[in-house]
Amino acid sequence: MRVVIAEDLFLLREGLVRLLTAHGFEVVAAVASAPELLRALLEERPDVGIVDVRLPPTHTDDGLRVALQARRQVPGLPVLVLSQYVEQLYARELLADQAGAVGYLLKDRVFNDEAFAAAIRSVAAGGTVLDPEVVQKLMVRHSGTEPLTRLTPREHDVLALMAEGRSNAAIAQRLFITEKAVSKHAAGIFAKLDLTLSDDDNRRVLAVLAYLES
Amino acid sequence: MLFAIVLLLTIGCIAFVLVREAQRAPRPDGLRGRIRDRGWGLLLLPVAMSAAVMAGGAHGLIPAELGLATLAIVFAPKLAAKLVPYGVLALAVFGIHLANTYRHGNTSGVQYLFVHAVSHGATELVLAEAALLFVTGLWLLLRLDSPGAGPVRALTARWLGSGRRGISGVQALLLIPVVGLTIQLLGPGDWFGWQAIDGLDVALGDLTLLGGALVLIFRSRVWAATLAAAGLLVLGAYGWVITVFWPAVPGFAYGFSDLHNSPVPAPLWTDALEGSLLLAAGLWLAPRVMRHHLTDLPDPELAARARHLTQRVQTLTQTRHDAVDTAAAELRRIERDLHDGAQARLVALGMSLQAAQRLFPTNPEAALALVAEAKESSSLALIELRDLVRGIYPPVLADRGLADAIRALALDTPLPVELDLDLAREVELPVASAVYFSVAEALANVTKHAGARTVRITLSHGAGMLRAQITDDGSGGADPALGSGLAGVERRLATFDGILAVSSPPGGPTILVIEVPCALSSQKISSC
Repeated sequence: MRVVIAEDLFLLREGLVRLLTAHGFEVVAAVASAPELLRALLEERPDVGIVDVRLPPTHTDDGLRVALQARRQVPGLPVLVLSQYVEQLYARELLADQAGAVGYLLKDRVFNDEAFAAAIRSVAAGGTVLDPEVVQKLMVRHSGTEPLTRLTPREHDVLALMAEGRSNAAIAQRLFITEKAVSKHAAGIFAKLDLTLSDDDNRRVLAVLAYLES
Repeated sequence: MLFAIVLLLTIGCIAFVLVREAQRAPRPDGLRGRIRDRGWGLLLLPVAMSAAVMAGGAHGLIPAELGLATLAIVFAPKLAAKLVPYGVLALAVFGIHLANTYRHGNTSGVQYLFVHAVSHGATELVLAEAALLFVTGLWLLLRLDSPGAGPVRALTARWLGSGRRGISGVQALLLIPVVGLTIQLLGPGDWFGWQAIDGLDVALGDLTLLGGALVLIFRSRVWAATLAAAGLLVLGAYGWVITVFWPAVPGFAYGFSDLHNSPVPAPLWTDALEGSLLLAAGLWLAPRVMRHHLTDLPDPELAARARHLTQRVQTLTQTRHDAVDTAAAELRRIERDLHDGAQARLVALGMSLQAAQRLFPTNPEAALALVAEAKESSSLALIELRDLVRGIYPPVLADRGLADAIRALALDTPLPVELDLDLAREVELPVASAVYFSVAEALANVTKHAGARTVRITLSHGAGMLRAQITDDGSGGADPALGSGLAGVERRLATFDGILAVSSPPGGPTILVIEVPCALSSQKISSC
C-alpha cells in the first residue's frame, strides 16, 4: 500500500517511515512542508496520505488546508490527519464532503502501532476514523439530550466505538462480546435514534456522526 | 406687579427644572437633555429680564436683553452660567445705588425686583432686596466654582490650592488696603461729581467694594494681586500728582493724611512720601504678577489634557502592574505543571526503560511489562502537555484566529451554543487571546453554575470597539465581586483598556459584554 507522509519534525517523520515500512506500507514520499505535500498528493496519488496538521510555511493548520484542497481536486482522496491536539471544528471540516476515506487522530495513537496500521488501512479502504477524544467530546455535548439518554450504557459504548469508525468485529473484540451482540446493540441504537441501519461501515459512521453533529 | 409675578414664575420654573433634572442621573436625550446641559446658565434669563426692567425700558430693551441672554444660553452655556453670579452681584450694587438716590430725595420710578420704588419710603425694601441679591450672588459664585462642595470647603480648597504658584496669599491680600484707600479717596467729600453719601449707605457701599475684593482674592489669587499692583501704582502716582500740581485743600483725604475733618492742611511732603511708598510697593508687586501672567498662561485645554494624561498614567500603572502579576502567576503555574506533570512522567519513563534494559536478558516478560508501562507514561505526559499548551495559547487560535477559536470553544461546550460572529478583519494575537480566554471563562461559568439551556455568543466590530456578548438563559446571579473568575477576566481585559459588563439579575438571564477598543495607546497591541 502506497503512502505519502507529511511531517515537519525530522525525528517523527523518520519514526513514522520506519513504523509504516515495518508494517508493510510503501512510503512513496516523506515531505516536510505544505506545498511539497500538495505536489506529492496530486502527483503520487497514494493509497493514503498521512498528514500533520501543523506544517511550514506558516506553522498553523497548513497540513489540514492542503489535505482539504487535495480532496477538493481529487474527491475521496484518502487522507489521515495527525495532530498534537484534536478539534471538533477540524473534524467537521474533514467530514463535511461526506466522501469518507478520511481519518483524524492524535499523534499519540501511533504508540499503538497495530491499531494505527489498522486505521490507515480503514481510511485507504474508504472508511472514516475519528479519534476517541473527538468522539468523547461529541458524546459529552449530546449526553444530556433526548434521545441519547434512552440508550443503555452498553449501547452508549457501542455508539462511541461506531463513531470512531470501528467495524463490528473490532467493537466486539474491544468490548469482549460477540459480533452478533454488537449487531444487536447497533440495531437497538439505530432504532432509538431513528437512523437507517446499513451494513456498510463507512455509511454507518457517517450516519452516526451526522446524528451527533445535528 | 405683573412684572413681579412673571419674574417669580420664571425663577420658579427654572429652579423646578434644575432640581428635577439634577435628580436624574443619566442625561436624557432631546430638549430635556439640552435644558439640563444649560443648567445654571438658565438663570441668566431672569437676571437679564430684571436688568432690562430696572433700566426702565419697555421700549425694546426687554426683548433685546432676553434675546442676548437666550443666545448666550444656547450657544455658550458655560459662559452664561459664569455670567449669572456677576449679573446678580451687579443688580445688588445697583440696588444700593438706588437706595442712595432715594435717600437724597430723588425719585426715579424704577421697578427694583418686587418693589416699585417711587419715593423715600421704599429705601429699606430696596436695601433688603439688594442685600438678598448680594448674598445670592456670592453663593452662586462659590457654588458654580466648585459644584458639590459647600462654600466653606470651596473657599478653603481655593485658598490652599497649589495651582496658583508664584503668587502668595499675602500678595493677593494687598488688594484689601488698596480697596480701603480707594474707598477713602472716593468716599466722603465732593470728588469728580461723586455725590457725597453718609451713614448706612456709605457702610453698604464700602461693604460691596470690600466684599467684591474678598471674592476676587478667594476666587483668583493672581487677579487679586494684579488688581492690587495696578491700584498701588495708580494711587502712588496720584500722590505725586497732588504734591506737584494740586494744593492741599480741606476736606480732602489722601493716604493716611485724613484731611476731611482737619482745618489745617497736612504738609504736601506727606502726600509725596505716601505716594512714593505706594509706588514702591506697586513696583515691587507688578513684575511678579507680570512674570506669572507671562509664564503661566492659563490654558484650560492644556490643563484638561494634563489631567487626562495624569489619569491615563495612573490607569496604565495599575494595569501594567496587574499584567505583570498575571504573567508571573501564569509562568509559576506552567512551571509547576511541567514539574509535577510531564517532567515527572519522563523521569518515570526513563526509570521504567532502565529497569527493562536490566531485566531483558533474565526476565524478558517482566521487561516487556515495564516497556508497556513506559509507553503509558509517555502517553500521560503527552496528554498533560497538551492540556498545558491549550492553557498557554490555544492551538486553534494560533491556527485560525479568534472567530474559529470561539467556534471551536462552542463545539466543546456541552450546551447548544448559538453563534453570531462577524469579524471583518483579524484581531491582533494578544487581544484575541484575552478575548478568547474571557469567552472561555464565561462559557465555563455558564456550564458549571448557570443551569442554562442555551447560550448565545455574538462577536462584532463597531464604533472602534471589538465587542463580544455572551447571553445565557440560566439562573443569573453572576457577580465579578464574588468569584475570582470574572474578576480575572476584568484584569485581563484592562491591560488592553477593555471592559467587562455583567448584567445578571437573580433568575437570569445573564448578559456578559466584553469590549476592547481598537485604537489603543500602544500601536503594537492595537486590535483592529
